[in-house]
Amino acid sequence: MTRHGTTWHLSWHGIRTVARLELRQRLRSTRWKVALIVWFVVVGAITGLTVGALHAATDPGQGGPELGSLIFGIVVFFVLFLGLLVAPTLSAAAINGDRNAGTLATLQATLLSPAEIVLGKLLAAWTAALAFLAASIPFIVWSLFEGGVRVLSLLTTVLMLAVVLLVVCAVGLGFSALVAKTSGSAVLTYLTVGGLSVLTPVLFGLSTPLVTTLEDVRVWTVPDSAWPQGPADPQPTVDQCHWETQTMSRVHTERTWWLLALNPFVIVADAQPLGDTAEIERAGSANPLALIQYGVRLARTGPAAEEDWCTSQFTEYHEDGTVTKPDSPVAQVEPSTQAVWPWGLGFLLVLGAGSVVVAVRRLRIPAHTLPQGTRVA
Amino acid sequence: MNSPAGIQAHGVRRAFGQVRAVDGVDLVASPGRVTALIGPNGSGKTTLLLVLAGLLVPDAGTVTVAGYDPVTQGVEARRRTGWMPDVFGTWDSLTCREVLTTVAAAYRLPREAGAARAAELLTLVHLDEFADAPAHVLSRGQKQRLGLARALVHDPDVLLLDEPASGLDPRSRVDLREQVRSLAAQGKTVLISSHVLTELDEIADDAVFLSRGRTAATRTVTAAAAQRRPWRITSLDPDALRDWLAANGHVVSTGSTTGDGGGGAVLVHLDGDAAAAALLRAAVTDGIPISSIAPAGGVLEQAYLELEEERR
Repeated sequence: MTRHGTTWHLSWHGIRTVARLELRQRLRSTRWKVALIVWFVVVGAITGLTVGALHAATDPGQGGPELGSLIFGIVVFFVLFLGLLVAPTLSAAAINGDRNAGTLATLQATLLSPAEIVLGKLLAAWTAALAFLAASIPFIVWSLFEGGVRVLSLLTTVLMLAVVLLVVCAVGLGFSALVAKTSGSAVLTYLTVGGLSVLTPVLFGLSTPLVTTLEDVRVWTVPDSAWPQGPADPQPTVDQCHWETQTMSRVHTERTWWLLALNPFVIVADAQPLGDTAEIERAGSANPLALIQYGVRLARTGPAAEEDWCTSQFTEYHEDGTVTKPDSPVAQVEPSTQAVWPWGLGFLLVLGAGSVVVAVRRLRIPAHTLPQGTRVA
Repeated sequence: MNSPAGIQAHGVRRAFGQVRAVDGVDLVASPGRVTALIGPNGSGKTTLLLVLAGLLVPDAGTVTVAGYDPVTQGVEARRRTGWMPDVFGTWDSLTCREVLTTVAAAYRLPREAGAARAAELLTLVHLDEFADAPAHVLSRGQKQRLGLARALVHDPDVLLLDEPASGLDPRSRVDLREQVRSLAAQGKTVLISSHVLTELDEIADDAVFLSRGRTAATRTVTAAAAQRRPWRITSLDPDALRDWLAANGHVVSTGSTTGDGGGGAVLVHLDGDAAAAALLRAAVTDGIPISSIAPAGGVLEQAYLELEEERR
């Protein structure tokens, strides 16, 4: 009991001592500053090129609000992509690297608790990751000036980026406590990040045959007989719409949407406040984040019990931007109630917390077993 | 808290997989005394020190350090234990002063107290001029001295020094000896492991010999000094000395354990200091021109070699 109590003893003083030690070690190596400068230049170049290319591709005066959100989406995903590449390097050698250098036992032998050592290292790695994020914020704000992006979207997106980086740092720390070699823990962290980022959408796509079924669906539609047979026949009208039962194959993504919820890119995209869905339905959107958000929420909803093929036939879009639609007997899908990101965020937080627990348990002293191929000191 | 101070270890065992690194060690180190831990490579010295420092759980046996069990009362034991590992890893980018203030913070010393302690210790180990230099510019010996300072930051009651003398130049060895003696004089318990046996003679009061993870013998240095061992005698007239020794029933050994017995020197086995004094008085009385008489090899070295001999 006492051992358990001291393992998890936490004080801000202890965490800060470890974090300051880690940051001092890291900040004084010039590579870190160079990396930060390279990062700033690369993100800046990508943003500049994106803005330039988009301005060149769109007619002057027609760019409008769409352009800002497109730039925003591209820059945010690029920053997330680079962040997922950099974050593992900040923490994946934090424990086994120290163990190999003979400095870990020195800390363990003091009054610092294992939890303080792990959280101090996590805080230091996260602070470094946030420095990279901070270096990208000017470019994210740049897209704000291009219009079409709400300040609230920017806040939630940056917040979610910070959380994703925290979790990746925690995973790296967990692996560095489990594996003796620093290269091994780095590879495992990259595999985890790659699995979540790339493997989940691939699995989602490959699993569609498994959730595709032939079934009878009630459809609100224009009867076939109403369609003109010759040029003289009249066009069908709204009044002719009726219920039919049709057999069709349907993809039940409501069974596999959680695969997408594990994806950091989806989580970041979905966490922003929902945009105008009618607008997206009408013209599509140039905002990649909003498209992903809308897509995953539809995937979570899955196919409706009833389908409306009629209303869209008779919806009219007017010059002034207003829309007239006939009334539909089919309930509209409401994406606002189908948020995916809380699930993804929950999963990430469990993953991060689990990694921290693993790391702390590995640093408990006195040690019973040691990781294969390691010495205490 | 009735447990006695110092270090008490009884029946300590610790295996790593199939390898029984420590396999039944009994050791007592008393406050105010320096205890040497002696044994060949792989005899379990470092593992034993890791158990005492509270970093490894012993598979069996009981341990108390400064009156506390490092396993069940880890925090209390570590608060009173200073450990200097044999492989001295440093935080390369930190200055010497920062290394010490960081360790002080890790022992939860207030910031000002930590800074004052760091300055005091840098002076003690003669690293003042490197106080604000990064630790990676230090030589091996300087790093060892910084390691000693680091082990002393929280003013521990018990000091565990693993090979503290390795890499030290002669001047630093003398300093280390004085520092360790003065720490013992302050009432601290010092356990020191080393291969360099001759220098332990002058530092240690007691010696514990480890062999294959077991306690092979426990001696006090004064008792070891009283044991039968070779003395080297030199004379201005070697032949006269040999004749006199033969006439008085002393066996002159031809083999030499340390250095040569050649030149004007002969080796004679004697039962400690008193026997040597008696021989010297008798020889001088008989007119033999003796120029020197001294133990050949260190006290602990001799005891160590005898133990090795017994095992064969």
